[in-house]
Amino acid sequence: MEDRVVEDVKASFPDDVLEIDVQRRGRVSISVKRDRIYDVGLFLRDKLGFDHIASVSGVDYIDKKEFEVVYHAWSIDKKILAALRTRIPRDNPVLKSLVDVWEGALYHERETWEMFGIKFEGHPNLSLLLLPEDWEGIPPLRKDFILPKRPQE
Amino acid sequence: MKLSMGPQHPVTSHFRFILDVDGDAVLNFEWDVGYTHRGIEKMAENRIYIQNIPVVERINSYCDAIGTTLGYVEVVEELTGIEIPERAKYLRVIAAELNRIASHLYAVSLVGISAGFETMLMWTINDRELILDLLVKLSGQRITYTYPTIGGVRWDMPDGFKEDALKRLDYLEKRLEDYYKMMAWNRTFQMRFKNVGILKPSDAVKLGIVGPNLRASGVKADVRKDEPYEVYDRFDFEVPTGKNGDSFDRASMRLKEIEQSIVILRQALKDIPKGPIKGSPKGSKIPPTAPRGEAYSRVESARGEFGYYLVSDGKSKPYRLKISTPSFRNLPALPHLCRNVPLGDIPVIFITFDYIPLDVDR
Amino acid sequence: MLSKVRERLMNIKFLRRILNWGRAWSLWSVHLETGCCGPEDMGRACARFDTERFGTLPFPTLRECDLLFITGLVTKKMAKRVRMIYDQMPDPKYVIAIGECAATGGFYWDSYSVVQGVDRVIPVDVYVPGCPPRPEAWIQGIKMLQEKIKKEGIDEK
Ligand code: SF4
Repeated sequence: MEDRVVEDVKASFPDDVLEIDVQRRGRVSISVKRDRIYDVGLFLRDKLGFDHIASVSGVDYIDKKEFEVVYHAWSIDKKILAALRTRIPRDNPVLKSLVDVWEGALYHERETWEMFGIKFEGHPNLSLLLLPEDWEGIPPLRKDFILPKRPQE
Repeated sequence: MKLSMGPQHPVTSHFRFILDVDGDAVLNFEWDVGYTHRGIEKMAENRIYIQNIPVVERINSYCDAIGTTLGYVEVVEELTGIEIPERAKYLRVIAAELNRIASHLYAVSLVGISAGFETMLMWTINDRELILDLLVKLSGQRITYTYPTIGGVRWDMPDGFKEDALKRLDYLEKRLEDYYKMMAWNRTFQMRFKNVGILKPSDAVKLGIVGPNLRASGVKADVRKDEPYEVYDRFDFEVPTGKNGDSFDRASMRLKEIEQSIVILRQALKDIPKGPIKGSPKGSKIPPTAPRGEAYSRVESARGEFGYYLVSDGKSKPYRLKISTPSFRNLPALPHLCRNVPLGDIPVIFITFDYIPLDVDR
Repeated sequence: MLSKVRERLMNIKFLRRILNWGRAWSLWSVHLETGCCGPEDMGRACARFDTERFGTLPFPTLRECDLLFITGLVTKKMAKRVRMIYDQMPDPKYVIAIGECAATGGFYWDSYSVVQGVDRVIPVDVYVPGCPPRPEAWIQGIKMLQEKIKKEGIDEK
């Protein structure tokens, strides 16, 4: 099953997929170019049946000056979780929103925006969701936002 | 006109809704969440793996602490490759199912109080105490158990636990009949809840709804069946689904799930093998670091699917821990459903989704 | 004129005692849950622990209440609302802080959005430690508050 997914994606997007592998049973990881993530997402949903969005996470790789955005989508009949990921530069964190693909990503993307400052183009409502209304300063989940240490450390 | 509901409101608890109302009809629904946002994902990066167990537990220590910790513990075990003993797996299942029952009873009580059935609140909360007593025997705490740990569980079953548990389950099964009588078969209740807030299966999938709410719409999706973790593949149980996807289905889904939990518990209590409860018999030998890499674990908690996405850079603290919580994933449902509905139906629709604010905000 | 009479009357120890006794046994509590100590609020109010025995009745409208339970952590976003709710309650009003978080911030000492102790926002009468405190501890907190109220305005010397 997982291999079929890998082959299908590879066959349809030979140039845009940077890395694709099966991590274990039921887990497929697809790394794509930044500007094609929308098309791959659409392909995953319509052709392969990954219709249930599970999470959208940002990861801050501060050493490489990059953010990674990971969309986890679950396929209800195939029973596979696909991780669709892409890297974007840290100084220009803009990505096309996938809300049109997975409507459920609405709040996930909004949260990623406020926690990392990643701007999702085409998202209907990017405003603070969880943070206090008067939040100022850098988004908290970036690595350069540092929490206090234990006093004895 | 804009109407603001909460955060001090008998139904909404920590949430605030911003409603566009025209007379009695609600035109638009907007969430205002974040009243309990603590930044647990950031705090997790500040602590070592084993310290994080109680931290992530606070996400939903509200009702379903075992389901929450189980997901975290599993993702760490997957990354580090720790095998856990058979008995620990069974104990985890037992604790998780007991907690599921307690959580569903809590949910049913809220459904009752939102519709003005105070008896239902008193009965269910009282029966929940029976289950909490069992969990106290198992772990020593009423709500925040911190029971599963990396490499096993913290405590073994005390003597006489099995008999006690079976007795209480028998009692609870009888009580379920009463609940059905009071709720599901009750005309007044049906009038209030039937055909209110119908969520179609296609919409439910599209919006990414999880757990009993998704199953109430008729989609058969349960992590315990789809991707069995621990020993769920050894038990014989059903995944109940609803027909219409209305508030009534969602409310009674919780009762049906309690029934199935009792079925699982009976089997687990019968089959549980003897042996150690933690990774190594001499005590915990947990490696202090996790290898470089990433893992994603899925767990079916009472409110639905928990997803833990862990990225490790080989150090003793997580590099990134993303927690995808069921209530957060259920958020899009209400703005979708609450269009052109009477204001009086908002609490009914809201409460059947069983949102936990702490779970949304993290 | 009226207030002067009232003051005089209140200085009579016997009357003051009766008033305090009445207040101590009819503490109505606001429904405001701020943290994960919340479910025990249900536990203590329902049949098994039943704090209504001590006159503490959970009530939905805050305008008629005089007791505020702070159930656990208070975030910065919530703190403003807590203050607002406290200001709206009629005098005399009392606050019981439940849980470590409400007392000191406890578990969330390094969190960026949790207020380190609710007493930075509103005055607190009784602290109940625990994470979360058992319903028995809630009851003890209520009893302590009652003791405190009974001594109000009376110099015991
Ligand atoms: S004291 Fe414990 S249970 Fe209560 S709010 Fe704080 S962390 Fe949650």
